[in-house]
Amino acid sequence: MFEKLLSGGKLEKKVIDSIKVHLKILCSATECFRIAISKGEKDGAYCVAELEREADSVRREIIMTIHQGAFLPFIRPYICRFVEIVDEAFDNLEDAAYEFRYLNDAIYKMVESECEKIARINKEMCELLIIAFDTLINKGDLKEKNLALRIYEKQVDDLKFEIIEKTRTIEIKNFWDGKNITDFISYLTKLSDLIEDASDYLYIIEVSLK
Amino acid sequence: MNTKVKDIMNTKLETITPDSKVYDAIEKLVDRRMRSIVVLPKDEKDVYGVITVRDIVFKVIAKNLDPHRVKVEEISSKPVISIDKETELEHLIKLMEKFNIARVFVHEGKDIVGVVSLFDVLAATLIARARRL
Repeated sequence: MFEKLLSGGKLEKKVIDSIKVHLKILCSATECFRIAISKGEKDGAYCVAELEREADSVRREIIMTIHQGAFLPFIRPYICRFVEIVDEAFDNLEDAAYEFRYLNDAIYKMVESECEKIARINKEMCELLIIAFDTLINKGDLKEKNLALRIYEKQVDDLKFEIIEKTRTIEIKNFWDGKNITDFISYLTKLSDLIEDASDYLYIIEVSLK
Repeated sequence: MNTKVKDIMNTKLETITPDSKVYDAIEKLVDRRMRSIVVLPKDEKDVYGVITVRDIVFKVIAKNLDPHRVKVEEISSKPVISIDKETELEHLIKLMEKFNIARVFVHEGKDIVGVVSLFDVLAATLIARARRL
């Protein structure tokens, strides 16, 4: 069935290679953010913005190549949507990194361990998304990858619930401190949703090619 | 399977003192959406115990006892079955099968530091399978 996906050759191969690069950059961004969080190095989070810019140019190249005629027309919207979701993941991670730099240390300390766990899961989810994409291209079983990503997402949801329970007990004396920690948690935990959505799109592509 | 218990354990633990009322334990279980609570040792010579939803239903509710009057220590199990956090998943599964239990507490030295459930084992196994190319 993937002869259909790869039919034509050159342009399709270019898109697939670029998507792999795009995903690898996302993986690097989640890893550098994880390191920044685990070491508590706020300046370390600047790497995310740099990688996001790099990824943006890769995304433009992918979309342009698709519009130059890569892939059969019915499959193009799904591939474009997949790439856009990965791009949303980048934007989301960049927002999380931005908020991280301005966190009130005393407030953040209360939820630090949960945030570290989420950052690790986000990174592992990205790695698995790369595996899932390779699986789609190599005709493997995408269902198992999709299920594992859903399990990861559920773990993040549980951690989010724990964080919310804790943050509700904190007395916020400054509006911006409260907004800052709420936004940070929201961006940090939304990444897993986006990766899950991206994985769902891979599954849609697989099903539509059958 | 090289995964260790420490990689998948849940560190969200709730504790209760042995002289607390069962009703206090029920409140904690409901509020924290948990199924078991670690019962703290009475003194230095004592050991950790555990009180589960199962204990409460079978030993208090089913017998029409008042949870406001029954103490946690009267229905909790002691000592708690626990394993070292460095234990491999394979060994954990054997232990769970042998004792027919769905949750095992995890210790580091003398302290209970986490809990691992059958669902955690399932999730870890599925993730490990999926990560294999």
